[in-house]
Amino acid sequence: MTRMKSRRRFIRNVSMAALASPLLLGRGARPAAAASGHEARYYEKLGEMKVKCTLCPHECRVADLERGTCGVRENRGGTYYTLVYGNPCSVHTDPIEKKPLFHYLPGTQAFSIATAGCNFSCRFCQNWEISQKRPEQVKSVELGPAAVVHAARKNNCRTVAHTYTEPVVFFEYMLDCAARGREAGIPSVMISNGYIQKQPMRELCRVLGAVKIDLKAFTEKFYGEQCGGRLKPVLDTLLTLKEEKIWFEIVVLIVPTLNDGPAEIESMSRWIFKELGPDVPLHFSRYYPTFMIKNIPPTPPNALHAARKIAMDNGLKFVYIGNLLSEAENTFCPSCGKVLIRRLMFSVTVEGMKSNRCKFCGTAIPGVFA
Amino acid sequence: MTLSRREFSKTLIGTAMGAVVGFGADPTSQTAAETGKSAVILARSEKLKRIDDDIGEESARRFLDDALIRLTGKPKADLAWKSLFSPAETVGIKLSCLPGRKLSSSRGLVAAIVSGLSRAGVGPGRIVIWERTNRELENAGFRLSRSAPRVIGTDDAEGGGYSEELEASGSVATCFSRIIERVDALINVPVLKDHDVTGVSIGMKNFYGAIHNPNKYHGQHGDPFIADLCRHRFIHGKLRLTVVDATRIQIQNGPAYYPKYAKDHGALLIGRDPVAVDQCGWNILEELRRRAGFPTLAEAGREPTYIRTAARLGLGEDRDERIERIVLENG
Repeated sequence: MTRMKSRRRFIRNVSMAALASPLLLGRGARPAAAASGHEARYYEKLGEMKVKCTLCPHECRVADLERGTCGVRENRGGTYYTLVYGNPCSVHTDPIEKKPLFHYLPGTQAFSIATAGCNFSCRFCQNWEISQKRPEQVKSVELGPAAVVHAARKNNCRTVAHTYTEPVVFFEYMLDCAARGREAGIPSVMISNGYIQKQPMRELCRVLGAVKIDLKAFTEKFYGEQCGGRLKPVLDTLLTLKEEKIWFEIVVLIVPTLNDGPAEIESMSRWIFKELGPDVPLHFSRYYPTFMIKNIPPTPPNALHAARKIAMDNGLKFVYIGNLLSEAENTFCPSCGKVLIRRLMFSVTVEGMKSNRCKFCGTAIPGVFA
Repeated sequence: MTLSRREFSKTLIGTAMGAVVGFGADPTSQTAAETGKSAVILARSEKLKRIDDDIGEESARRFLDDALIRLTGKPKADLAWKSLFSPAETVGIKLSCLPGRKLSSSRGLVAAIVSGLSRAGVGPGRIVIWERTNRELENAGFRLSRSAPRVIGTDDAEGGGYSEELEASGSVATCFSRIIERVDALINVPVLKDHDVTGVSIGMKNFYGAIHNPNKYHGQHGDPFIADLCRHRFIHGKLRLTVVDATRIQIQNGPAYYPKYAKDHGALLIGRDPVAVDQCGWNILEELRRRAGFPTLAEAGREPTYIRTAARLGLGEDRDERIERIVLENG
């Protein structure tokens, strides 16, 4: 309970930082006007003022004046609009390890933004107070793509992270921020559930620097009952990321009794090894009770270690444990076993690498390290 | 003087004129309270047809009064209103204003309800007329008011919009409007509409306008979400009366106003059982759709099965033989 409250306080503070901190955003930042509109990039007009959203696999059919399941896209007279373009409700600077991305510019800061909304409704969502809200229900600021990049640079951030909620639902904003940042040498990273159609994902890959995907579980049952989505499209997104050769990492939040079965972890690990390769970093993260699941205690540490062992036994080389202090936060050389990057919470020391190789045995380490 | 489902639905569109009762309650006739059935009253009249997108308060008041007499078994309208509401209670009147003034709860009807409450001794300071947002209320032609009676959107509610705490109700987890949290009793004033996803939008669906995340609960045609939502104590424990505005009905392409498929019908549907009211509203919509050449909602792949689920959960009655349908005409 203590943790839940502090988490909620954190989210509120994150949100308020956007509104209150001229240090973060400069003096020009101002509250966003209520629910303005920017035409959506992916949708079809169906006639008689109906539309079909083609951004994510929900493929919502949306009647006039209604919104898609994300709550941030609205049909106005047969034209589909995103209501969150340029209006983040959370703005903060974070270590990139917090995303978590462990093999992408380690030890750097990410200028982190989110708008309201999500296309999932995970019953264990840690950020539900913004992800499960509509844009008019949260405080937001006006912060266009150019201002995002400017603020990132001003705050010594190497990247812009689209995070906290679900960036797929603010696709157009993320796309423009990423394109603008790329020109300025500040790449964007997408911290996502991967519930997106192939074409928009490919378009994003042209401008993003890296992606982190939350693989919620490895069963359709879990996705259907706990998240309001499907597994298959997420696996398809992972395959697309591999095809596109963009750097990506995977996080699995282990929720006791719901997705922690050894057979499920084994199937997942085998699929990752076979379809994505042994070099994809896999993070098993500790769950804490929140939102709609408050009756299941936090993940026991031994369950996380057991999952990690299964994944490594199945050939994955970089398997981490998150939300729990342990040696398993460190990056070890898969050849000589020496520590390459030492992590304690968000304190990072790169101690065993030279360029992108192990300085002890010369093994190449996958990722983007400079 | 009660009608079968088929007769009732046909009556609305003018084909079963003989099977109705005249305006003015007959105190000797059997009332819903006496039959033990869920009563739903259809008031239908030329005087309930919209002029300039509104109906007259006086006509609405007369039909409402008569309906309440029949629903409660009280001999006079004032007593009927008093049997449902007490002066010590704060009463929320939930409107339906999303489509703008062409297809929202009529202002004259709302004024008639306020009149009834005042005769029950509920002072204007204890009446809140509300919707999701101020903008929707204004677009529907209501003038916002912070003085008695208040006319406000949840977005303008004291303490800020929606509660911070999550409330669970079956499959639904949500933050409720602070208005519904605070009132003691509710009168629901929805509009009878086709709905592109949930099949129909009548009374129970109107409470999606009382929660912060309705977009999460349109899957599976709203089943079981709408029923689960209406189980919550803020709704099930407070709802006293549903007055469906069927003066203009959207029979296809709802829930927004689409003039090509909107029909002026000059009717109200009134009841205390929210499931029975929705069941009757659905029957009427199906009949109007059939006459216009549209497929049934089941054939269209959007049968409102949530009504059945609500009945199964004990929120009301959906069985034809357990619903008493009464038609009031003229006035």
